[in-house]
Amino acid sequence: MHAEKKVKIYSTPTCFYCIKAKEFFAKHKIKYEEVNVASNMKEREEMVKKSHQLGVPVIEVGHEIIVGFDRVALEHALGIKE
Amino acid sequence: MYDLIIVGGGPAGVSAGIYAARKKLKFLLVTESFGGQSAVASEIQNWVGVKSISGFELAKKMEDHLKVQDGVEIEEGSMADKAEKIKGGFKLVLKNGKEFETRAILAASGGRRRRLGAPGEKEFENKGVAYCSTCDAPLFAKKTVAVVGGGNAALGAVGDLLKYAAKVYLIIRGEQIKGDPVLFEEIKKDARVEILMNSEITEIFGQDLVGGLKYLDKKENKKGELKLEGIFVEIGSVPNSEFLGNLAKKNEYNEVVVDHKTQRTSCPGIWAAGDVTDLPFRQNMISAGDAIKAVLDIASSR
Repeated sequence: MHAEKKVKIYSTPTCFYCIKAKEFFAKHKIKYEEVNVASNMKEREEMVKKSHQLGVPVIEVGHEIIVGFDRVALEHALGIKE
Repeated sequence: MYDLIIVGGGPAGVSAGIYAARKKLKFLLVTESFGGQSAVASEIQNWVGVKSISGFELAKKMEDHLKVQDGVEIEEGSMADKAEKIKGGFKLVLKNGKEFETRAILAASGGRRRRLGAPGEKEFENKGVAYCSTCDAPLFAKKTVAVVGGGNAALGAVGDLLKYAAKVYLIIRGEQIKGDPVLFEEIKKDARVEILMNSEITEIFGQDLVGGLKYLDKKENKKGELKLEGIFVEIGSVPNSEFLGNLAKKNEYNEVVVDHKTQRTSCPGIWAAGDVTDLPFRQNMISAGDAIKAVLDIASSR
């Protein structure tokens, strides 16, 4: 088992890669918090501040920021071995 | 050793997989993910038998349809890195390091987004320069944006953005729309859309995020500048043909050259179908049909 790191995904409702990322979390039984940056302006600002960019998804694992659905980076950050 | 390895999980790869299963070939399908490039489309209206469906839903349906076939083996989550000739066939190496041996390969590896190549594009990628309108359109609510391109993907992106943006420029390099007139007429009706034909982006500028772009109207030979916050690039694809190396002949655009009756490449044992090939039209159903031709030819030439 990997150490429990807090996982948060900044997403928009129609974003394909956000759905793929959430499928990935489900597959590996990873708990996560999701915020919709299409409607939540405060979270959107926080996302831009943390990731210095405007694309979704942005995934926060512990203190690590991952832009996009980067399977390899996620596996690494979460300590998952396929 | 497999009879066949299908590289790709878009409409070409999945159609090939379904047919290969029905022909009882011992095959493996290798893909990063399912659905191909239009998986990110908000709406697909030209998949026959389905009036309207999101790219994501169609991708799911394709995946499900493939997975209910008997004898399907799938290696998901990685892409092909390299194909090499070995005795009696080929060795395929994936980006994750795994290796497989096969008598035949069907390259259905599709394409990936073409970049503009304008100064500032790379610097401002995801800082206003975007490649997925269904993903990022909501982040440009009440803002001014531009869509670059004249095909269906560009027209679709304008539609996605009109749900949120205050104004949408459509910048087209040529003097004609390549996409479907039904889509073009729909977006033209909206007063927030402004169309710039014969125009090429020469620079993208800004501070931390995109602030605007400069363009050249080639017909009038006039330079212009637009203040805006988002630029969505939808100018087609480049083929994912690198993994074949020099095994099969490619054209000047790196597209794999095929015989369009059988989808055979210049290399015996390698077939190709869909957007990775030198086909004139990039369409889901054409890719699906071409891949089926390939599998039928593979099955009958065993």
